Amino acid sequence: MTDKLGVAIVGYGFMGTTHLSAWRYINECEVKALIGRNIEKVREVSKKFGVEAYNNIDEVLKRKDIDIVDVCTPTSTHASYSITSMNAGKHVFLEKPIALTLKEADAIIEASIKNNVKLMVGHVLRFFPEYMKAKELIDRGMVGEPVIARTFRGGPIPEWSPWFLDKNQSGGVAIDLAIHDVDYLMWIFNSKVKRVYGVVRKLVHKDITAEDFALINLRFENNGIALVEASWALPKMHPFMMNFEVDGTNGMISFDNQSPVPVKLITSESISGFSPESLPWRPAVHPFPVDPFYRELKHFVECIKEDKTPMTDGEVARRSLEVCIAALKSAELNMPVNLPLKEG
Amino acid sequence: MKKIRFGFLGVAHFHADNYANAIKKIPDAEIVAVYDEDEKLGKEFSNNFKIEYYKDAAQLLKREDVDAVIITAENVKHHDYAVKAAEAGKHILCEKPIATTVEDADDMIKKAEKSGVKFQTCFVMRYHSASILVKNLINEGRFGKVLALIGTNKLNSSLPLLRRWFTDQKLSGGGAVMDHTVHLADLIRWYTNSEASEVYTEIGKNVNKNIDVEDNFLTTLLMENGAVGHIDGSWSYAAGLYTWGDVTMKVIGTDGVILLDAFKQNISYIGSDKPNDKLTWHYYGCDCDLEMIRSFIECIVEDKNPIASGIDGRQGVAITIASYESAKIGKPVKPK
Repeated sequence: MTDKLGVAIVGYGFMGTTHLSAWRYINECEVKALIGRNIEKVREVSKKFGVEAYNNIDEVLKRKDIDIVDVCTPTSTHASYSITSMNAGKHVFLEKPIALTLKEADAIIEASIKNNVKLMVGHVLRFFPEYMKAKELIDRGMVGEPVIARTFRGGPIPEWSPWFLDKNQSGGVAIDLAIHDVDYLMWIFNSKVKRVYGVVRKLVHKDITAEDFALINLRFENNGIALVEASWALPKMHPFMMNFEVDGTNGMISFDNQSPVPVKLITSESISGFSPESLPWRPAVHPFPVDPFYRELKHFVECIKEDKTPMTDGEVARRSLEVCIAALKSAELNMPVNLPLKEG
Repeated sequence: MKKIRFGFLGVAHFHADNYANAIKKIPDAEIVAVYDEDEKLGKEFSNNFKIEYYKDAAQLLKREDVDAVIITAENVKHHDYAVKAAEAGKHILCEKPIATTVEDADDMIKKAEKSGVKFQTCFVMRYHSASILVKNLINEGRFGKVLALIGTNKLNSSLPLLRRWFTDQKLSGGGAVMDHTVHLADLIRWYTNSEASEVYTEIGKNVNKNIDVEDNFLTTLLMENGAVGHIDGSWSYAAGLYTWGDVTMKVIGTDGVILLDAFKQNISYIGSDKPNDKLTWHYYGCDCDLEMIRSFIECIVEDKNPIASGIDGRQGVAITIASYESAKIGKPVKPK
């Protein structure tokens, strides 16, 4: 048992509990601590999973048997939790986006270098089976050279987690949601973004501080172009949708999560569709695809054990944050913005 | 009632065949003549539809029994043909884009007005039952005020290659931006009741490296009333696609969203000659070409204004030209 890596999770919300479930299936690790500000709620969750509850990270960081800190808190607190953890010599898995500002992102990256610990940011799309398959097909040259792409991600406003609606905590839909596809597109185009033109608005929900709608036009260094649409502006009955399409010199690929639904549940009240991945987390049951959260955490553990660089390290995560910040800037100025951004 | 008799001025656009077939379905209409600079193409058309071929447009326009012309020539020729038709007192149904410059478009509209003939733009989507349904849902206030409209009018990349002029800048005035901005721009104007105040366009590198005009782009429209529109009219769908392309639009309102996929009504067919015999789509939805021509005839007979007017055509041209300008200078541009 002693050779297992000890894991502490900061945050007990949607992402914290999702990760908590996933970690339990990674044999090399053991979740030992759950940290949150509201100790009553932390206790409630930790009891269910049989881990210790804390409301202070410093106590946890003193523990020698903790090797990894998994930060699943609102984005505005990413820098402080992750930097403190890395300064205590812990490896850090950080939920996306890396931070709200480039300055914070730089400080996080610096802390990982200084302390010689691994840092991975949870750009989980790269571990979704459908997105992995598309990347594989593109890398096999099946579309030729990717030329133009469009992505959509969105649904109703995430009222179940109020911090998303607070611009100061989440950065709004451009930073929080669009960043998934921005990272993915740079990955499949195999190119950085050189120019951004964005329309980012409080479209439907005027009573929250975060923007609920983003249309981001990207131009890559290799002159590919893409539209990223991210939305919390859709009505309550709207399913959470994600889709993408990539047209290349020799073919096209597309995916829509509303189409491949292997399990449908119809009751007198509602119609629901399920994919194995959308069910409450379960281990890989052949032939179902492996859960993406399990897969990304597993990748992180491998990087620690084999001293490799995580696929979505701090630098990679900073790049997509920079694009999303540029989109906000562009929307403010109604002008395209060139990358890299100048400081400030 | 007397039949409305049509002559074609230019049949280089393959829509000419669609329109001719539509006219054949209308009891009160008839095609009688065709002119095309390209004698081979014109004669082929005249044989197909059993109508007279003219080598000279003036001769066709002299015919007293021709009430109206359909201009389906190469884009750059629209202006000249429309002006001649107006001067000859013929009503005009003009393929989109109606012109390749705003000045030409303005001149065509002016000349038609002066001679008191109808000028209708072939914005078929204004006559399509699915897009009309969306317009009605908007008018009824079923999902609040329109805030954002994100559309695609993408095309199978093999189609623009069927007629060479589409990819010949001198005849088409441009590639995908020229060809496929206007339908969505018009739907966005129609649905918002507003004009575009700013246009921003990114033109990508080509999907088809063998053509000299652009084949893909992304255009953002900021509307005067505050709504935002987005247009992807790329010719970038792979040639193996099971259908020609699409017209889709997501319309987000203050209280709901509408998803339009106008040509979605299809029967899927798969052959059984070989294991991967291709899936194809067979459309059974609204024939918007037919509805458009019916409506045009109604405007002539009942002296009404076309639903898709010359001004609508002109605004499409203005947005298209602003798109090219924006892509060139890398900034949003206000349409003329």
